[in-house]
Amino acid sequence: MSQRMRLDGVGRRYGMRGPWVLRDVQLDVPVGALLRIEGANGSGKSTLLRLLAGIDRPTAGRITGCPRTAYVPERFPAALPFTAAGYLTHLGRIHGLRTPEASRCAAEWLERFGAAGHAHTPLAELSKGTSQKVAVAQALLAEPELLVLDEAWTGLDRAARGILDRVVAERVADGGTVVFVDHDPRRLAGAADSVYRVAEGLLLPRDGGTEERQAAPVGPRVVIEAEGPPGGVPGSAAHLPGAPDIDPGPGGTTRLTVPAAHSDALLRALLTARPPWHIRAVTAAAPPPGTAHEPPDDTSGAAHQATLPTALQDTPYEAPLS
Amino acid sequence: MTALLRYQAALLIRSHRWLPPVIVYAAFLAIGVQTGGPILDAYGFAAAGLLPVAVWLTRVCVTNEPPAARNCAAAAATPGRVHLACVLTAAGAALVLALLGAAFVALLSDPHANDHQVAVPVLPATGAGLLTGLSCLLPGVATGALCNWPVLRRPGWGVPAGLAAAVLLLVLGGSPANAALKGMITGSEHGTITAPWLPFAAAFLAAAGATAAACALSSRRG
Repeated sequence: MSQRMRLDGVGRRYGMRGPWVLRDVQLDVPVGALLRIEGANGSGKSTLLRLLAGIDRPTAGRITGCPRTAYVPERFPAALPFTAAGYLTHLGRIHGLRTPEASRCAAEWLERFGAAGHAHTPLAELSKGTSQKVAVAQALLAEPELLVLDEAWTGLDRAARGILDRVVAERVADGGTVVFVDHDPRRLAGAADSVYRVAEGLLLPRDGGTEERQAAPVGPRVVIEAEGPPGGVPGSAAHLPGAPDIDPGPGGTTRLTVPAAHSDALLRALLTARPPWHIRAVTAAAPPPGTAHEPPDDTSGAAHQATLPTALQDTPYEAPLS
Repeated sequence: MTALLRYQAALLIRSHRWLPPVIVYAAFLAIGVQTGGPILDAYGFAAAGLLPVAVWLTRVCVTNEPPAARNCAAAAATPGRVHLACVLTAAGAALVLALLGAAFVALLSDPHANDHQVAVPVLPATGAGLLTGLSCLLPGVATGALCNWPVLRRPGWGVPAGLAAAVLLLVLGGSPANAALKGMITGSEHGTITAPWLPFAAAFLAAAGATAAACALSSRRG
């Protein structure tokens, strides 16, 4: 992103005399941040996301510094006369990729979300969940600078939801910005840099981001015990994916604690650092006393998975819904 | 923009929604263009049919994508460019029809005036015929752009409004389509060819203005 995106006094209403859906929104969108937007149904969250994605223009105020953007809608019932791979190749080209690159990325993303078997299925015949995977893949094809997710997890199976969590963390670790709305309060819990709430057309900061997150961590966390080169932690903790808590570990190691969604990205950063780090152990962090961690799914089988480090999960691809 | 045009063109071709307007236009030509008829008259007839067909094709193209898919493309390429690609695809499809129609007329018609005495050279007549076709096609595209989302958003109004506008544009004096058609019909009576440059220029400006307005509105209307 060449310059930071900024919303200045932004308001939006539909029609000349319609009520203001959003009023006087001031928002700085930092590069490489993960932003969560909360709010009740019909509060204007989706309108805010459409403004950020450039799909709508504000009625009042202005938005500057619009980056390369991709958007995932909540429902993607696309009755389009293409196969999944064909549609993604077209969208890849629209996102600025060349044709061979677009079809290669399309195949890769479908495979990652466990929908490779549906690459040549017409979009109209896909199940709701697989359509949603296509919508998600579409947005990830060209590594957008700004990724806008409007309840993108809705309809995905558990494995795909976990993958999307990790993909979001990867995007942020690679310097992209992600803004998301999800009604599950445990979605990427503790991983967001800032949380905002839309209420009565106003955008309000909900809590103080990093400091508050460290004071009251929520969601599964992962401890990585790593052995670095003499001199310690590379850069400052804030520059590592997920801004880990860093403590000295046993035997001269360093313990880095991050929200589970960021663990893969952090491991990659440590292993590819110059000089690289040695990873001693990856374990699930013990939940702090008093905070019962609900699994991100209502099935009892997921209870253990939720607290396992994502890095250690053997990416449980489920059969795609069909 | 090339990627968007390719996407919209593939969408139009694979959706098969181009089929009804093309069949109607083919039937229109089959009924109206007679073997051995005067060539300028036939070009005028073929051009007149293009106007409502262009309105129809534009409606097909700008309503071809479900909102969710349109939003995905709009985030990547801005809503204005997405809408521009829709309108240009419709104009391109109508242009293909115009060329096919002109070829059909050139093959079947008699290169003479109405009295079958005064000879009319085929090449200049075809040039004037194509220009007349464009003078009808472009107002049709403009009408299609203005009578559908995002300009006219009430569902159910697009078709009657587009149809009424098409008839008015053909009938009312002062419209570029009407001026170009009149030139062809009077030319056919005397065997004189007048290339309708002025109506074409007016039609082009009208279409450009209408398309620009529709594209500008596409990010303001949710």
